[in-house]
Amino acid sequence: MKKKILSTLVCLTVAATTIIGCGSQAPAANTDTVAPETQTETTETKTEEKAADTTAEASGDKVTLSIYTQYADDDTKVPYDYAVEKLAEAYPNVELNLIVQAQDDGQTLKTLAATGQLPDIYQASTDIINTFRESNQIMVLNDVAQSTGFLDKLYDANKDLAYAEDGNIYAFPFSGQEYVLWYYNKALFAENNLEVPETYDDLLNCIEVFKSKGITPLALFGQEGWNTAAAYDVIATRYTAGGIKALDEGSASITDEAYVNAAKKMEELVAAGLYQDDATTTNYDQASEKFLSGEAAMFINGQWYIEDATKALGEDVDWMFYPAEDAASYEAGKAVFSGGGSSSGFAVNPDSENAELAAEVAEFITEKYCEAKVMYRHNPLVALNTGAQSDSELPAMMQKLSDTLPSVTATTKFTWGLTNSTFNDAIQSESQGLVSGQFTAEEFIQDIEDTME
Amino acid sequence: MKKYMGNKLAILLFILPALAIFITFDFIPIIQVFAYSFTDWNGLTIPNFTGLKNYIDLFTDRVFFTSNRNQIIFAVVITVYQMLFATVFAITISDKKMKGRKFLRVAYFIPVILSVTVVCQLWSAILAGDGLLNKVVQLWNGDFKQNWLGDRYKAIYVIAFVNAWQWMGYQFALIVAGIKSIPSDYYEAARIDGCSNVRAHMKITIPLLAETYKFCLIISLTGGIKAFTEMNILTGGGPNKSTYTLTYMMYNAAFKKSNYGYGLSAASVMVIECMLVMLVINFIFRDRDQKKEEEKARRKRNA
Repeated sequence: MKKKILSTLVCLTVAATTIIGCGSQAPAANTDTVAPETQTETTETKTEEKAADTTAEASGDKVTLSIYTQYADDDTKVPYDYAVEKLAEAYPNVELNLIVQAQDDGQTLKTLAATGQLPDIYQASTDIINTFRESNQIMVLNDVAQSTGFLDKLYDANKDLAYAEDGNIYAFPFSGQEYVLWYYNKALFAENNLEVPETYDDLLNCIEVFKSKGITPLALFGQEGWNTAAAYDVIATRYTAGGIKALDEGSASITDEAYVNAAKKMEELVAAGLYQDDATTTNYDQASEKFLSGEAAMFINGQWYIEDATKALGEDVDWMFYPAEDAASYEAGKAVFSGGGSSSGFAVNPDSENAELAAEVAEFITEKYCEAKVMYRHNPLVALNTGAQSDSELPAMMQKLSDTLPSVTATTKFTWGLTNSTFNDAIQSESQGLVSGQFTAEEFIQDIEDTME
Repeated sequence: MKKYMGNKLAILLFILPALAIFITFDFIPIIQVFAYSFTDWNGLTIPNFTGLKNYIDLFTDRVFFTSNRNQIIFAVVITVYQMLFATVFAITISDKKMKGRKFLRVAYFIPVILSVTVVCQLWSAILAGDGLLNKVVQLWNGDFKQNWLGDRYKAIYVIAFVNAWQWMGYQFALIVAGIKSIPSDYYEAARIDGCSNVRAHMKITIPLLAETYKFCLIISLTGGIKAFTEMNILTGGGPNKSTYTLTYMMYNAAFKKSNYGYGLSAASVMVIECMLVMLVINFIFRDRDQKKEEEKARRKRNA
């Protein structure tokens, strides 16, 4: 009997301890939620540590806003640091908590949204805007854009970028129209007595010569789906100006002759050895290294690469108009570029305690990003006309692009600007298949057609 | 002990915390996975019931078949590699006469304690187009240079090898522990009967490790079905989704296309596959006595 009582007591003790143990979590959680008040004392020294805290903090006039944005290389660090510096002057009572954006296709942001922990300001892509619009987790910025004069500062060519499909403004874009450029190493071409290819026959000749010398004709970073999609798009735009943009919008079909021809041409170029054998497992760093070190003669990337390419190769690097089927198509194609703008930019969490202030700050930061990109990154292709001037002469390639832009009549889209996520996924993976040389043009067409159905 | 085991209240109170944790963090989420797989949930909005649509789409998706084929290849490769080498290595280092036993025991286990990312980066460098392996291969035969991770059909075998290489040490440790628990009398008796070392291990070690092998088989096969990390790091699922698995399909649908409903239908199929594998393994390894009892019961019924 005694043993029975003893065993019951032991059991009850175990159960009570467990319950108490679980119960102790609650006050801890409460402490966390109250934490912002106590954390304000150490705000200045511990802003990085508090990055995950999405609650705007107030201590007197001081307000801390959390911001989720890219901060990885000079192209993202320089504008951010400049914006923070200017923000301190214009809004001395506002401080930013930086949460560095992960390169994870928006997973982190979506998880934060699902758990109600969205930062006050976040960098939103077209996909994020479309998803958060449905769940009302992105603020409509029409009024703020009007009151701050944002719309007046937008370049005419970028007016459409501010608006989402439903006609509302959900994000302040800072990047303007962007372009896929086909870079080439002038020195390597000269050493091998090659002219810049204008037609695919010229390009095939270049491939043959470079391959015979052990030089990779074109280094692609095919591990990133956007790069293989761009590689297909630069060919597709030689056959139809819509490129992958028309497919995304549904105004063209992958079975249209132009797209079929583009796929077949890409298959032919891959078979000839345009890209390196392991292109689909090559990342950006590896491909860029190949190009900058002279191991590869050509490279496909956005115009943002101009700065890095110029730094490394100086006058030996330039970009070419995309080769085409014949001389006439080549000339006509000079007015059509792969790439384009998207409505992505700084968005605001409508549930933020300081949503109105966050919206104002988001607009301010956007403006400063544009200024910094023009002044310190020599990139005039920004969304806003801030009146800022570059601190030095534009690199030759950027100057050439700027001179070309007035004659550009059509652009397509980068994959992050595509609105149909099913097509986006399909074009990235299927173009990667084409680049691998193990999938035929017929499979490419058939698979995309099946997916879109 | 019998008295304690007879105390129902004690049993209930002792298992309650573990049961509560299991139900909260395992059982309920699995039920939710199945429930949401019948909806168009995008991870944020209120889901709408769509019936079997996700499953119909899944079963007609060409990637579904590629994924299942890859899972089978992956599971078979890692199971054969790990169990074979783990057994050979474990038996080898169990021989007390062998020199360098301690070093080998640690060496075989080291990959297990490394991060998967580190291991994948290491093999990625080795298997790259101009990586170490191709350089070595070129010295031997210049024409045999391979695109190890970019090949539509071969890449899955290479990825499976990387996983098998890393986790072989885990099964090795389990088998070593199993061998240590076998009384040495059995081996002495076998030696007196003139049994060779190989035959002794075939007749004593391996049969007595049945339970250990059962566990090893379960973790290998279910590990194969759940495979994701290695393909994500080494190939990104490419080229053109040819190294996808159901987990990768789930990840792609949920996180890249915001189509959680579809992703969870892939996850549901994966859960069912894992459960089926475990049932089959449990059936194969069921106790001999249980088999005899089943046989007796069957005979009684027939009589």
